[in-house]
Amino acid sequence: MQDQHSFDGIASRNAFTASAELPRTEWKKEKTVAMKDAVEKPQANPKPRTTVRRLVWFFGMIIVLAFVMNAIITSGLRRIKTSAFGASNQIMEGKVNAQVVITGSSRALSHYDPRAIESIAGRTAYNLGRNGSQTDMQVAFLKAYLAHNRKPDVVIHNLDAFTFVTTREVYDPVEYTPYLYDRELYSALRKINPNIWKSRYLPLYGYVVEDINFSWIQGVKGFTGWSPPENFFQGFNPRSKEWTGEFESLKAGNPNGVSFDIEPAGIQDVEELIRVCKQNGIQLIFVYSPEYIEMQSLTRNRAEIFSRFHELAARFDIPLWDYSDWKYAGDKQFFQNSQHLNADGAAVFSKDLSERLKQYLALQSGADNTQAPHSAIHSSAGQN
Amino acid sequence: MLFNSLEFAIFFPVVTGIFFLLSQRWRVHWLLAASCFFYMAFIPAYILILFVTILIDYFAGIYLEQVQDKKNKKALLWVSILSTCTVLFIFKYYGFFTGSFVGLAGLFGWHLSRHVVSIILPIGLSFHTFQSLSYVIEVYRGNQKAERNFVVYATYVMFFPQLVAGPIERPQNLLHQFWEHHDFNYVNVTSGLKRMAWGFFKKLVVADRLALYVNDVYSAPRSFNGLQLSIATFFFAYQIYCDFSGYSDIAIGAAEVMGFRLMENFRTPYYSLSVSEFWRRWHISLSTWFKDYVYVPLGGNRVSKSRHIVNLLITFSVSGLWHGANWTYVIWGFLNGLYLVTGWLTKDWRDRFFAAIGLPAETTIRKVLMLSTTFLLTCLAWIVFRARNMTDAAYVFTHLASGWNFHHIATEQFWLRQMPVAVAGILVLEIGQLWSGVVSVPSLIGKMPVGARWAVYASFVMAVLMFGVYKQMQFIYFQF
Repeated sequence: MQDQHSFDGIASRNAFTASAELPRTEWKKEKTVAMKDAVEKPQANPKPRTTVRRLVWFFGMIIVLAFVMNAIITSGLRRIKTSAFGASNQIMEGKVNAQVVITGSSRALSHYDPRAIESIAGRTAYNLGRNGSQTDMQVAFLKAYLAHNRKPDVVIHNLDAFTFVTTREVYDPVEYTPYLYDRELYSALRKINPNIWKSRYLPLYGYVVEDINFSWIQGVKGFTGWSPPENFFQGFNPRSKEWTGEFESLKAGNPNGVSFDIEPAGIQDVEELIRVCKQNGIQLIFVYSPEYIEMQSLTRNRAEIFSRFHELAARFDIPLWDYSDWKYAGDKQFFQNSQHLNADGAAVFSKDLSERLKQYLALQSGADNTQAPHSAIHSSAGQN
Repeated sequence: MLFNSLEFAIFFPVVTGIFFLLSQRWRVHWLLAASCFFYMAFIPAYILILFVTILIDYFAGIYLEQVQDKKNKKALLWVSILSTCTVLFIFKYYGFFTGSFVGLAGLFGWHLSRHVVSIILPIGLSFHTFQSLSYVIEVYRGNQKAERNFVVYATYVMFFPQLVAGPIERPQNLLHQFWEHHDFNYVNVTSGLKRMAWGFFKKLVVADRLALYVNDVYSAPRSFNGLQLSIATFFFAYQIYCDFSGYSDIAIGAAEVMGFRLMENFRTPYYSLSVSEFWRRWHISLSTWFKDYVYVPLGGNRVSKSRHIVNLLITFSVSGLWHGANWTYVIWGFLNGLYLVTGWLTKDWRDRFFAAIGLPAETTIRKVLMLSTTFLLTCLAWIVFRARNMTDAAYVFTHLASGWNFHHIATEQFWLRQMPVAVAGILVLEIGQLWSGVVSVPSLIGKMPVGARWAVYASFVMAVLMFGVYKQMQFIYFQF
C-alpha cells in the first residue's frame, strides 16, 4: 500500500486517474469558443524570471497609470468653478470670507439663500450645508472653512429632528475626496469611516470604489477647464421639484410614527459646534427651519428633541429661532417633501429669515452698547 | 473573501507566489491553508460545517471502496448522502420546509406554531455539498478511486477559486491535479490573468452596474412603471449571466494561473436556439450534475413518454430548490421544466409549420426567431427567480407591458448618467462574445507589437477599474 502522506505515489495515481478521468478529447469538447486561445497557445514560453519581470512591469505600469489618473481627477475637480465642487473649492481655497455662514444638513443647503441675506440683512453670506450630513460632519466642515477663510461674524446653524444622530456612513463621500489633505475634514471622516485612508492614499479608490456616479468624469473634464452648469448659488442649492409624495410613503410605512435617536455623542457634537464658535468669537444662532406640519406630529419624540435644543440654547446663551409654525408649514406647494422646502418655499423662508436676522443684528448692535444678553430675544415661535 | 475585494487583490498574488516557491510536497498543504483562510474571511466558524462534510465524505469514500457487498455498499452510500444532505437541510431548508408545513396545515385548519430559527446560510454550501456528493457517488460507481490523503481530499472540496460558487467539479477532473506538479508557466499565467480580467469586466462593469437598477426595481416593483419593469427584467438577464459567468471566469482563470484546469461552466447561453440548448450552455457543471445524479437515475428518457415528462419536471424543480429555499425558485425550476417538455412535445409540429411557411431550421430568420423566443422565455422565467415572492412576480408579469413612461426611467441608485455605461457594457460583452466565435481575440492581440499589445491590455484593465462598481456586492450565486 502506498504511503498516503507522501507524494511518492504520484506516478501510479496519475496512471489511474488518467484512465478514470474524462479523456482529454472529451475535456476539449467541453471547452468553449472563448477558450480557443488556450488551444492556440503561442509556442514561446519565457523563463519564470522573465515572466515575473514582465508581470512586475505590467502591473507597475497600471499602478503608475492609476496614480496619474488620480492626480488628474483631483486636480480637475479642484479646478471646477460651479456646482457642489465649485462651492467646496471656493471654501477650501479661502475665497469665501463671508460675514454670515450657514451650516447644517441638506435642509440648510436647500433652505437658506445667502443672496437674500445679503440684500436684506446687508451682510455677505455663504451656505455650507452638506447633503446627508449630521452634526459631526457639519462641525468638521465648519472647522475646515475656518482654517481657510476669515472668521464670520455669525454662524446660523440649522437644526433638524435628527441633529443628535451621529453619522453612520458618509453620504456621497466623493464630495470630500479632493480635500482629504485637510486635517479637520480627514480626522472627522476617519472617525466615521476608519477606511477613509484608502481614499486618501490608494490611487482612484475615492473616485471609483466610493462613488458609483462617475464623478471622476467631471474631474477629467474639469482638468481641461470645463465646469458644469451652475446650480449652487453661494453654496445654496435650491430644489426645483414639486411635492414628491415621499412623505405619503413614509407615513404609510410608519403608521405609529417615527422617532429619532438622541445620542450622547450627538449632543457632544452640538456642544463642540458651540465651543468652536465661542472660541472664535462667532455669534451662533440655532434655527429650526420649516418642516412640513404633518411630519411634526408624526415624530413621536419631537418634544424631547426640542427640550434638548432649548436646554442647550439656554445653557450656552444661544438664540433659537423655531420655524415649526411657519405660516406655510402646512402648504405642500412650498415643500418638496416633509423635510425640504422647494425653491419657492426657500425663497419665502430666506426672506423671512433675512428680515429677522436684520432686526436681530440691529438689536445686537444696540444691545452691545447696553450689554443686553442674547436671551433677551430668544423665541420659540417663528416670527412670521 | 470576495474576488472583487482589495483583500483578494493581495491574497491571490501572495498565495500564488508562495505556491510556486514551495516544493511539491507542501503545495497542497499551502493551498488548503489558503483556502481555509479564504473561506474564513466570510464567517470563520462556518469552516467547522465544511469540515464535518469533508470528514463524512472522506471516510465514506474509503469505506465505499473497501466494502464489497453490494447491498452494504449501497446502504453506506445512502448514509453518506443523507448525512451530507442533513447539513444542507439544516442550514438551508429547515425554515422553508417547516414554514411550508405550517402553512399547509393552516389550510386544513390546524394552527401550528413554528419555532423560527434564524440561521445565516454558510456561503456556497450547496456548491461544496454537491462537489462532495459527486465524489462519493463516483467512488461508489467505481469511476473514482477513494482519496486516502486527507489533505488532498480536503483541498479538492475547498480549493479556493471554486469553493463558494463552483464550477462544481467532478473528482475525475480535479482530484488528480493536486497530485501533479504545476510549473510556473508564462502561458498559463497570462492566459489565466486574461480570463480573470474578462471575468472582472463581466462582474464589475456589467453585472454590478445593472444590479443597481434591478435591485431598486425588484425591491418595490409597485413603485415603477412598465418600462422600468421591462428594463429591470432585461437587465437582470444580463446581470445574473455576467455575475455568475464572471465568477466562473475568475475562478477558472485563477486556477489556470496556478496550473489547474477547471471545467467550463458557461457557453454563451443566450445564443441558444431552444430552452434545452440553453440548459446545455448555462451552469454546465450543475446541469450535468443533475443529469448524471438525478435525471438519469430516475430513468432519464429511456422510459415511457409520461414518465420522461415527470422525470424532467422533477429534475428541474429540484434544481430550482437547489438555488434557494423559496417557492419562487421551485416554480422557476418547474417553469423551465415545462418549457422543455413543451418544446419537446411540439417540436415536430413546429418543424412542420416552419417548413410549410418556408422557414426550415437552417434559415437565418428561423434561427433569429428561435433565439429571440428562447431569450424571451428565459427572461420571463427570470422574473420568478428574481422576485421576492410570487405576489411580486405576478405583479411584474401583469404590468410589464402597461404604463410605459419614457420620462421616468432612472431609479434612486441608478441615475440616467449610468445608462450609457450599462448599455455599453452589454454591447462590449456581446461584441466580445460574437467576435470570439469568429476569431481568437487573445491570439489576435498576441500578434500585435509589444507596445500596442500592452496598450490594449492596460486600457482594458483601466476601463474595468474606472467603470466598475466596487460596492462589495456579493456574487448572486454565493447565496446558493
